[in-house]
Amino acid sequence: MRGAGPRLTNGERSEVSSDAIVLEGISHRYGGRLALDNVSLSVPQGHSMALLGPNGAGKSTLMNIMCTVLRPAAGSAILAGHDIRRQSADARSQIGVVFQEDTLDDRLSAWENLEFHGLVYGMDKPARVRRIEEMLALVELTEWAENPVRTFSGGMKRRLEIARALMHEPRILILDEPTVGLDAQTRGKIWSYLVQQRRERNLTVFVSTHYIEEAESCEAICVIDQGRVQAVGAPETLKAQYGTSLIRCLPRDAGIRRRLLEKWPGAQQLSGDRLGITVDDGTSIDAFLGEFGSSLKEIQIDEPSLETVFLALTGRELRERDEVKPNARGKRNKRL
Amino acid sequence: MSKFSTLRRGIYAVWLREIMRSFRDRGQLIGGVSRPIIWLLILGIGLNPYFRGEIYGEVRFVIPFTYLQFLFPAVIVLNIMYTSILFAVSMIWDREFGFLREVLVSPMPRWAVLFGKILGGSTVATMHGLLVLILARFADVTLGWDQVALALVLMFLLSFGLTSFGVILASRVRSFEGFGVFSNTIILPLYFCSSSVFPLDPSLTRTQAAATYPEWLTLLVQINPITYAVDAMRGALISYSQFDPLLGPGIIAAGAVLFFAIALVDFQRQ
Repeated sequence: MRGAGPRLTNGERSEVSSDAIVLEGISHRYGGRLALDNVSLSVPQGHSMALLGPNGAGKSTLMNIMCTVLRPAAGSAILAGHDIRRQSADARSQIGVVFQEDTLDDRLSAWENLEFHGLVYGMDKPARVRRIEEMLALVELTEWAENPVRTFSGGMKRRLEIARALMHEPRILILDEPTVGLDAQTRGKIWSYLVQQRRERNLTVFVSTHYIEEAESCEAICVIDQGRVQAVGAPETLKAQYGTSLIRCLPRDAGIRRRLLEKWPGAQQLSGDRLGITVDDGTSIDAFLGEFGSSLKEIQIDEPSLETVFLALTGRELRERDEVKPNARGKRNKRL
Repeated sequence: MSKFSTLRRGIYAVWLREIMRSFRDRGQLIGGVSRPIIWLLILGIGLNPYFRGEIYGEVRFVIPFTYLQFLFPAVIVLNIMYTSILFAVSMIWDREFGFLREVLVSPMPRWAVLFGKILGGSTVATMHGLLVLILARFADVTLGWDQVALALVLMFLLSFGLTSFGVILASRVRSFEGFGVFSNTIILPLYFCSSSVFPLDPSLTRTQAAATYPEWLTLLVQINPITYAVDAMRGALISYSQFDPLLGPGIIAAGAVLFFAIALVDFQRQ
């Protein structure tokens, strides 16, 4: 790498590339079951991407490959310019990982957990002390530095894990459902740390989540199902492309209700005699209003949302997955 | 920042965490202290008078030591066995509660993670062996510094081998419940079949020689590797060996290398 000649060697080319994460043709199978089928993705440096997908979609397999715990059967993954196969130690030093489950040592204090992390990443004493102080301040745990993690609440533990993942100044932060089981206020707080770090440090964030508002605040969303990437794009683009509107209406009488059902046999029966009609674009809404606008007691139109995008792409609702979560957590703990 | 200092810091961190955890785990400490007291002060003193017989009207020990002296080196091995093999619990804990994942996504190579962990576990086990060694005076064992140094080296090697063995068990045991059974079906049988509480040859008089141990028991004792560890400790502490004095240390060292190698293969595969 001597001299700054115009010719680029292989190593330099990957450094120059502005994409922090490049996945190409990743496939993986467990036994005979194909968990990931030819997944390709790229995330530019400083951008954020949310991974959305129902259970069993291959989401955790992909997350495990991204954080270098699992070797893909086929395909290549390049993180911050380092191939995870050939330069795994270099790739690992450039990523910070926040796992879905707690991975703190609860018998050690907050400070000791961070100190351990710093040592494992080979940071020297002054750097460790400086970064621990900075990180504790960032996640507002400075006063709790000496307390054992055992005594922390769920939200405090999550914050400490994020502090830990950022401590060695990684270029990529990978988070696997980082806010599951936390209340809305804590979720908001954690998200604000991430936004701040992304802005200040040009951090690339890759996060799997099933909270719509979190996915929406990312620059790009990747919807994955049955091991395949179903769609990638900015939230607005996806909504425009796959989103549908839902008309909720309450007909004035039974006759109108019957006529409505004849015209839209697919209408859903909602609570309180209301009907839900799915339409894809503005013209259908106009047509509906033109015909029935005056014979309704009540009408509400739900704009295209990521929920409807998700439904259209995977045939499943995002919300119902909340209830399955405790089992999924138990299952995942067993994997390593 | 050199590669070596990165590696050294990583191993140090993993090692230090094991030490800190063991000091904060009251149960483990209490076990480490109470076990030798029960074995030495109660069993040892209680059986002391029965360890001798009469020849031509003269009372002699079966071997030229009191029972307490005979038992003392074995109790060190016992304390090390408990702490080392139960180290598997720490491994299972890390695996089940996710802490292992945090280390596995770090740039630290896997062998170094395992080496640090086993080094930490064997340091703790050696310290638990040292707790017994402090009681030497109560067992009428007088020690020179050279003997203490030799014993410490052997204790550390034994701890290293047995801790690796615990790690091998941990990678084959799926739950905590399974492990309680393991400890009682492995540690105590190995201990009792290691010529720890009785000598291999109980004969003092001709009448006693006629009533030797059954063959199966002698065989069990002879194929048990712990027998040779106990023998090595006796050689170092009371200068009494039932086998070739080099056999014990040799088996301890070979065990340390072999078990670490197997543990490493298991860990790389996980």
